[in-house]
Amino acid sequence: MRRAEKTDVVIVGSGAAGSVYAALLAEAGKSVVVLERGPARKLTDLYSSQIWARRLKWGAPHVLDEGRDSIWHNFNAGHGYGGAAVHHFGIWPRFHPEDLRERTLYGKGRDWPLDYEQLRPYYDQVQEEVGLSGDAEQEIWRPPGAPYPLPPLPVFQQGRLAARGFAALDLPTAPIPAAILSRPYKGRPACLYDAWCDAGCPTGALANPLVEYLPRALKAGAALRPDSHATRVLLDASGERASGVEYFDGKGERREQPADLVILAAFPVENARLLLNSAAGKHAAGLGNASGLLGRCLMTHPAVNIFGMFKEETRCWEGVTGGQLFSQHAFAKDQSQRAFGSRQWVLGLGLKPNDLLGVAMSRADLFGADLHRFMKRGSRHLGAMIGSCESLPEETNRIELAPQRDRFGMPLARAVFDAGDNGRALWRQAVDEGLKIFRAAGATEVWRSPPVGQHVLGGTLMGKDPATSVVNEYAQLHDAPNVVIGGPGVFPTSSAVNPTFTVHALAMRSARRLASHWGQFVC
Amino acid sequence: MTLSRRNFVKQGLALTFTVAGKPLLLTPREAHAAEVPFSVLSAQEAGTLRAVCEGLAPGAAEGGAAHFVDQQLGVDPDHSLLFIKYFNVQPPYVDFYRAALSAIRRLSEATFGAEVAALKAEDAKALLQSLRDDKAADWDGPPAPLVYQVLRNDAVDVVYGDREGFASLDLPYLAHIEPPPAWRQ
Repeated sequence: MRRAEKTDVVIVGSGAAGSVYAALLAEAGKSVVVLERGPARKLTDLYSSQIWARRLKWGAPHVLDEGRDSIWHNFNAGHGYGGAAVHHFGIWPRFHPEDLRERTLYGKGRDWPLDYEQLRPYYDQVQEEVGLSGDAEQEIWRPPGAPYPLPPLPVFQQGRLAARGFAALDLPTAPIPAAILSRPYKGRPACLYDAWCDAGCPTGALANPLVEYLPRALKAGAALRPDSHATRVLLDASGERASGVEYFDGKGERREQPADLVILAAFPVENARLLLNSAAGKHAAGLGNASGLLGRCLMTHPAVNIFGMFKEETRCWEGVTGGQLFSQHAFAKDQSQRAFGSRQWVLGLGLKPNDLLGVAMSRADLFGADLHRFMKRGSRHLGAMIGSCESLPEETNRIELAPQRDRFGMPLARAVFDAGDNGRALWRQAVDEGLKIFRAAGATEVWRSPPVGQHVLGGTLMGKDPATSVVNEYAQLHDAPNVVIGGPGVFPTSSAVNPTFTVHALAMRSARRLASHWGQFVC
Repeated sequence: MTLSRRNFVKQGLALTFTVAGKPLLLTPREAHAAEVPFSVLSAQEAGTLRAVCEGLAPGAAEGGAAHFVDQQLGVDPDHSLLFIKYFNVQPPYVDFYRAALSAIRRLSEATFGAEVAALKAEDAKALLQSLRDDKAADWDGPPAPLVYQVLRNDAVDVVYGDREGFASLDLPYLAHIEPPPAWRQ
């Protein structure tokens, strides 16, 4: 076993949260080491191919995806420098004020330990740093905030056709808020609209971690260590504070990285797995688990993909992967007697022929000559939009350790999820509405996907009360304040919106606090 | 940064196959045409895979579906390009493929009295439908609909997922990182 020189900060994971923490803390003068389980990766490794893009996903999954509904872990998670954010689509809506106060306002879900006004300055600063494109005025549902620094992305034929359906039903749409450059910005080029976002954008137009925060972290002196498999948070002699991280390097050798501050910024399931596997001494049920809620309230966005075949060519192969327009007309959580929660639509998804979200999978039942006929037509005339639904934080949905172990002897995680009656009812509303919208848009055939799990959230909830949450408003473990959790695992509610913008904003808020109150964390 | 789709380094879907002890960078189609020996699957397993993939997506046999899967089963799962990564299947993936292919072979012989490659078109279609619909009689492999999805997507990858596949659909590829020359040593 090798014990490395002590550093101020060790971060597990180099994705959306880890890269922000690394950049801001290194720029604040802290020595930072980032342990990334996957390989080193640079922009020129991001080949334009849905087949090659699978290198960005886990190949030896450490999660058993169980329960009535799947969280689609292996599709949502990421592998290598930049983590899941390397293949994320760059769709960055804000959470709404009511998302953060659900228990108070509706008697459902949970309250966050901070309100929207405390988060807002960080949304504004992040969007200025990375360059968001959008049209704040057209987003009639948009929470308060600075206008977007860049004009919206252009709308292509597929987006226009889908918007026709919304307009026919008198439902509003707006240009999608995207961390994709519509104009050159701070030395980065504008998007080429070739819809390869899912394969990882190599041009620098989409603000993945390889573009913005990891380069900043490296420039400020942070060290990135690829092929570093974190297995445990180590505790000091008192058994109360973290003293570093145990990991295995690419050769399988056990190592320790001592640090004053430990930040777990892996995927939500992995963060919970690490904490559960760090059980020791006073933390016999898992580090950060005094409340018994570690791993609990796992969430995903139950989502449906609505497909329509149009007489017109949709040119669905162009644009951006994640959509050209969006609508939050159904965001009011209490609008329905049948189900509680928000819904969101994204319209005009860029489609390639193959892979999970490709043209062929839209009709997974077809094969042989029938498939080929469909591919010839669908690759030019298909339209798609995704309806995302809120998932409530139910304690029965959970991450726990499994009996099976990985090659380092670490237990795998079990992710157990059930959307519940409420989630299924909300999803059914999205299905009914989506089919109606595409019929109104003029599609000659309309159909839907099975339920899918979009994004993974929860498991290390933030809250004010240590008895009912795992971390505080700065994402520090209540039980061990020199351990911080990054990513959507800390979200107490899921909303129905894509989480990456909020991940950045929370990480920036926490990192600023850590830097300015360093002495409180490091004794 | 001044990167554009026109000036990136060239890379693509060529994979490393071993021929006469020498590593060659070939596309799966080229590996099939050159009759590169299989490195993980048996000839029988590869034959079943080739026939099933051809039935799922016409063109998959010549596109080298069997060689694509065989080559990928020999790499570290973390670097695998196979669609099966998305599913809740623990590696080594060869275990899944072996179990699936042997079950398909048994099903074909029990139902139609012949291997998949020798089936008439309508029988092959009926066999694939039974997998898709989970109605295969006495099925003893991994869940049949999962087998159908995994193999179907392997076939789709080689038929539609590269530059040639896009061209067959009259789609522009629009690569940011261009495919390489067909093969190089």
